[in-house]
Amino acid sequence: MAGMTEEDCKVIVAKDLEDLIPVFMKNRHKELDALRVALAAADFEQLRQLGHRMKGVGNSYGFTHVSTLGKHIEDGARSGDKASLQAVISEYHDYLSKVQIAYE
Amino acid sequence: MRILLIDDDEDLRNLLSRYIRGQWSDAQIDAYDPLERDVPDETFPLGQYDVVVLDYMLGRGDGLQWLKILKQRPECPKILFLTGAGNEIIAVRAMKAGADDYQRKQELTREKLITSIRELTATQVERTVSPDLASRLEGHDLGAKIRIPGIKVLHLIGEGGTARVYLASREDDDEPLVVKILRQEIVLNKKALERFMEEYAMVERIQSRHVARIFGHGTSDNNVYLVMEFFEGGDLSKRLAGQPMPPRDALKFFRELMFALGDIHEKGILHRDLKPQNLMFRKDGTLAIVDFGIAKNIAAADRTGAGEVLGTPRYMSPEQVQGRALDLRTDIYSAGVLLFQMLTGEHLFDGQTAMEVAMHHLNTQPRLLPDHLEVYQRLLDKLVEKDREARFRNADEVIGFLSRKLEQAAGDAAPDRTQKLH
Repeated sequence: MAGMTEEDCKVIVAKDLEDLIPVFMKNRHKELDALRVALAAADFEQLRQLGHRMKGVGNSYGFTHVSTLGKHIEDGARSGDKASLQAVISEYHDYLSKVQIAYE
Repeated sequence: MRILLIDDDEDLRNLLSRYIRGQWSDAQIDAYDPLERDVPDETFPLGQYDVVVLDYMLGRGDGLQWLKILKQRPECPKILFLTGAGNEIIAVRAMKAGADDYQRKQELTREKLITSIRELTATQVERTVSPDLASRLEGHDLGAKIRIPGIKVLHLIGEGGTARVYLASREDDDEPLVVKILRQEIVLNKKALERFMEEYAMVERIQSRHVARIFGHGTSDNNVYLVMEFFEGGDLSKRLAGQPMPPRDALKFFRELMFALGDIHEKGILHRDLKPQNLMFRKDGTLAIVDFGIAKNIAAADRTGAGEVLGTPRYMSPEQVQGRALDLRTDIYSAGVLLFQMLTGEHLFDGQTAMEVAMHHLNTQPRLLPDHLEVYQRLLDKLVEKDREARFRNADEVIGFLSRKLEQAAGDAAPDRTQKLH
């Protein structure tokens, strides 16, 4: 994937947040499903809101790339660019399948 | 302590709860999901909480509206409002609507959250015991007292050695601004006060896209203030975060810095304190230089005492370290040190003490750039020449070099051809 590096897929999370990560990841997968549904329905407002949420929550947990993708989704939804949104959502799927989490 | 968290995102509620419990293990934290419940009505026991953390984007509600409703209740506790980064106009509106503090959500760290809650809940005893807390609370109180025509001072956002920095807004249109209020101990120091006022006088004379805009200055209740533009993009230090930039970005920002230096030097002004914290970014990504606190008019009588060294050691020119008379080549050297840092993510010179770093500028040859940045070596060499006679003479020469030599040599790695905008 052109926009994603190996480094993007390595995430370091504070040790005391470890027990929160299963819920966090489950919500990311639910989010991916919601993004796909919204894109199929061309619901750009929903896509914008989902992107905005990703942008807010990603960095907070140390998942910088989630925030980056969230910003792209927010921008793509604002301009109604379906092709770009499709590509970002595919990248999000790819990212969630590859992400490696270390606890320190 | 009892805290109410109002946010539509389960993960953020979990995270904030964890941060708070990590600090106050017996804190009682209630999560409130606005996707499931409407704004708390009059039966909701709002007064039982010490702090409410309220998000701006509530899914199906508007946090600003909720803020206004909650603040109408006399028992409403302190409210910490969460805004999106780069959206300071929302912060301005929240503070005007009665929020007691705000934080940019994407940048909200454990430390920032705890500091904010601690300040909001500080008792008189804590104010007395902790000098840092007392100083910040004094800063908040001062901001509330300042009266500036047409400007509302909203919130303390930073404290420096010479001034406190506040988020403010223009009353006409809520445009976010920055107000700097000089510390009283500086006001009493005639030399420092002259420098601060000179900062205003000089910067207002400069009409440049790449220099911070100053909107006014004056005194209020014996406090000296300066009103300037707000930079939503933060500073270069934050942008770098210890990492190198892509060379194309580094050269783009360096070129903008050269435009800024060209403009200030043309007015006979040296900056003398270029450093990452003094290079700010606007929302559109353009760069501007700020903080002329130690800037000096080239033609003015030198008010720096004999042997007194001003500036930040990491970015000082050799002649600055020596306390010699300065000319505009001192800023060219400091810009070169900044370019090295942007390209490599590292400091040109390191040391255990400020003096050790300063002496490196005087005596140590800079290390070479890594191989993949070799194309920039000639440029850098001519920027950080220890002998200023061998250095670029001015910003125009540097810009000429960038255009004529570097872009040809770099090919695909050529810097962005940013045009002068003013």
